[in-house]
Amino acid sequence: MEYLIGVLLPQLVHGLVFGAALGLLALGLTVIFGLLGVMNFAHGELYMLGAYVGIAVIGVTRSFWVALVAAPLLVGVVGALTEVAALRPLYRRPPLYGLILTFGLALVFREAARQVWGGDMRRVQPPITGSTPLLGMTYPNYRLFLLAVSCVLLLAIWLFFTRTRAGIVVRAAVEDAEMLDGLGVDVRRVFTLTFAGSAALAALAGLLLAPVFTVYPQMGVEMILLAFIVVILGGMGSMGGSVVAAFVIGIAQSLLTLWLNPQRVAIAIFALMILVLIVRPRGFFGREGVLE
Amino acid sequence: MSRLGGRPALLAFALLALLPLTPWMSKYALLLAFDALLFGAVAMSLDLLMGYTGLVSFGHAAFFGLGAYASAVLLQRGVLSLWLGLGAAALAVGLYALVVAYFATARRGIYFALLTLIFAEVVYTFFRYTQTFGGSDGIQGLPAFELLPGVALDTPARNYYLVLGYLALAWAACRTLVGSHFGKVLVAIRENEERARFLGYSVQRYKMVVCVVSALLAGLGGALYPGRAAYATPDLLLWTVSGELIIMVMIGGLGTLAGPVVGGVFFVLLQEKVSSYVDWYFLVVGLVLVAIVLFMPRGLVGLVDGLRPRPGTSRLGARRAAA
Amino acid sequence: MTKLLSLVTVALLVAGWAASPATAQQKVVKIGDLGSKVGVFEGYGKYQTMAMQLAVEELNARGGVLGHRIEMISEDDDTKPAPAVRKAEKLILQDDVKLLVGAVSSGATMAVMDVTRKHKVIHWNSVSCAEFMRTTKFHRYYFSNQPDSRMQANGLAKYILDRMGKRVYIFYTDYAMGQSDGRQFKTALEKLGGEVVGVAGAPLDTKDFSPWFGAINQANPDVLFLAFAGTDSLRLMTQLHSFGMTKKYKLAGIDCFLLQQDLPAIAEPMEGFVQLAHFSPYNPDRHMQAFNARFKKRFGVDANIMAGAYDGVMFWAAAAEKAKSFDADRLVPLLEGMCLDDTHIGRQCIRKEDHQVVMDMHLYRVQKGKNVPIATVSGQDTIGEPLVGKDPVAGFTWEIKKKN
Repeated sequence: MEYLIGVLLPQLVHGLVFGAALGLLALGLTVIFGLLGVMNFAHGELYMLGAYVGIAVIGVTRSFWVALVAAPLLVGVVGALTEVAALRPLYRRPPLYGLILTFGLALVFREAARQVWGGDMRRVQPPITGSTPLLGMTYPNYRLFLLAVSCVLLLAIWLFFTRTRAGIVVRAAVEDAEMLDGLGVDVRRVFTLTFAGSAALAALAGLLLAPVFTVYPQMGVEMILLAFIVVILGGMGSMGGSVVAAFVIGIAQSLLTLWLNPQRVAIAIFALMILVLIVRPRGFFGREGVLE
Repeated sequence: MSRLGGRPALLAFALLALLPLTPWMSKYALLLAFDALLFGAVAMSLDLLMGYTGLVSFGHAAFFGLGAYASAVLLQRGVLSLWLGLGAAALAVGLYALVVAYFATARRGIYFALLTLIFAEVVYTFFRYTQTFGGSDGIQGLPAFELLPGVALDTPARNYYLVLGYLALAWAACRTLVGSHFGKVLVAIRENEERARFLGYSVQRYKMVVCVVSALLAGLGGALYPGRAAYATPDLLLWTVSGELIIMVMIGGLGTLAGPVVGGVFFVLLQEKVSSYVDWYFLVVGLVLVAIVLFMPRGLVGLVDGLRPRPGTSRLGARRAAA
Repeated sequence: MTKLLSLVTVALLVAGWAASPATAQQKVVKIGDLGSKVGVFEGYGKYQTMAMQLAVEELNARGGVLGHRIEMISEDDDTKPAPAVRKAEKLILQDDVKLLVGAVSSGATMAVMDVTRKHKVIHWNSVSCAEFMRTTKFHRYYFSNQPDSRMQANGLAKYILDRMGKRVYIFYTDYAMGQSDGRQFKTALEKLGGEVVGVAGAPLDTKDFSPWFGAINQANPDVLFLAFAGTDSLRLMTQLHSFGMTKKYKLAGIDCFLLQQDLPAIAEPMEGFVQLAHFSPYNPDRHMQAFNARFKKRFGVDANIMAGAYDGVMFWAAAAEKAKSFDADRLVPLLEGMCLDDTHIGRQCIRKEDHQVVMDMHLYRVQKGKNVPIATVSGQDTIGEPLVGKDPVAGFTWEIKKKN
């Protein structure tokens, strides 16, 4: 019992925290893919930019909370500009080009960040310090805050997509952009704004996780891989699937670390993905025929 | 003969063969030339997938690196025969490629890119964390290959000729494939997969075959690497290497076979010379890649007809058509 | 097809250009500085460069070596063995360096040893501490003044058990260096009657160490022994602190856990941390103070343990002057047994058998962000017997021997 509370439960909480953040990241990826047909390889770098821009804002305003609002907005603008300048010209071309382009963009963002902020690791002080004795283990308050905020955000996003007009327009565009265009909606603007939104979301995740994981140019690369697995597991284009898969992966990873060599955990996650692909190729909630 | 590139190709190979005899080719230059030609050849194998079949593989480094580890393991145990090393690589990479190809080609479009990437990450993670293969340090201190018992490939010049031979064979193989009926079907699949399917071609099977062939070529190239470097490390399996191979193909020219070779040579040489002095080298590489994709998809050598944007298809329809 | 032809030709002409070495005007001798200049071990690599530069400038001011001006070429090895080997090849084959100092990461250093052995170049290591370099991987051109993991264990284990606690948990970074430290400290602690209650390794460059904390807390040690370096250490201490573990357990670790300049930023988590090292700018020893003054005057910052690289250049220069040649085979017998008095810590002598410097060291404790010496440990007590060609970990097991 002591094992359950002292060791198992904290690991579970780790997993939830990580899974929630991963969910935020994967959500943006899924929506963009569903909408634009582009798997955004630069998504991890938008996540990284969120953290770096956040550091810059904190440097000027000395406030993490201001940065939490400003950084996603700024990165959202970057996203919008990127979509208009670099992605839009490629919609007419085979998807191969979009893939390679986002890969190139990822390289550019990463190296630009390295040039501007240097290659060494930056630390961000958590805005909430101290820890709470939680069931036998002292748990940092900031991580608890993270968990709460991520869940609130996920809820807010769900509400956005189901209750607001803007959200419904986006979903319609994912469903059938041509039809929407025919109905008179400025689809190009929807694309740009949605891309900006997904960038902002990634940036937010990046800044939220920065005090835990520290900030360095490679941070996006490591997260994006997991995000891809989440998207595949959850089902291409399924938002709910992405969130569920993110939690599954987060918790699985956290719990497996207890029993397996942490290195083996990574392989176990991959094995899980392959298993799911064999048994249910479209993922947890993927729509039949979307890309089957 | 013209199918294999005709006189210009012959001339190119002749020049390359004479290169070690020129006065400025020091030992170090020969090592560099080895890398350049090797990666050029591997980039060419990737072009079979990317340029001719329209499949972007983000995990090509895994084929290369797996081949390297296969021959490295044999060298480590004192099995010095080049041929056994190549055989082991062919076996390992062939099996791996079959598995990846099966999963990656079963579904359309984006799945191929993602799954090749993820499988490559599995291979990387496996080798990086398995101590039997040296873990993150890899297998070090390897002896040279033996072409025949007693004939060791232990000088830069000998290794150079080895890789030149490999390039020639790979070139011949690729040109033959591309010029055959099989090659034409690949292009058909790239242009419009659904139509190819309706015409009765078993699209998945074609994709699987080209994937395995491309992988084998890369893997055999990889097998040669420990002979020159005396090591095999997980770094050969990083997805950044896969990315660099893609960049080589794009710089050189998608769908031309010769282009990626040139792109590869260019990339390796430039990186060697420039990256020591400037640390913004990769930023420029990224910008160049973006520029090429947006403005110059033809790359350095030229683009095969048909990869130009088709008039009349907007993005709205392109997703369904091209996926 | 002519395009292919011309492009290939151009490309290979570029190759010729790329590989051509520069021509020198006056008499110049080159030395190589190889190490991690970016990334997790960036600090070590940069300070290595600085230390070597100080030596080069001092020597050049005195007329160079054998009338040659010394030119230092620095290369980054990406903290990995493969790029290290390639850069070493470049330094040796293209730049024709007569001395190679490096690398930082033990894995890289060991890989480079293959290259320096093959091409017969004097190879000096002043930071990598895996125990294989002076045992199984040893070759005659290799020299070191870095206390390796065996030496550190010999010096520190007793203090830990006598003054800090009998139950120790060993947490290490899971690659050559950390594994080496883990092995040697486990062996030393157990031999002296201590109890190692747990061992765990985290991969290099781990971002989040908290998955391992549960096991540490469960084992409930007296002392937490940490074998990490660079940014990993920074992250680890920050996270340990946020989980309250820096107050719960006594802390000890390896000499390169954190460079002095990184300490002030995490002074509180590091308070009380004990390690064995040779140099600290806060050590009142007059040699160290004299060296630090020179270093600070030149670079504006305090020196740290990377100063050993300075000695490497000095030893090599002294041997070259004596031999009247740069030929490695002539330098080796002169270096064996050679002593210098004005190194960064005073007198250092290179032991003949395994080319390891015998050096007195100190136990340091971190107090308010400074490494303050609390005891001296003599060189003879720590160096251990030479084990050239022998396996230093024969009979070792990671198994935890449970005591009731």
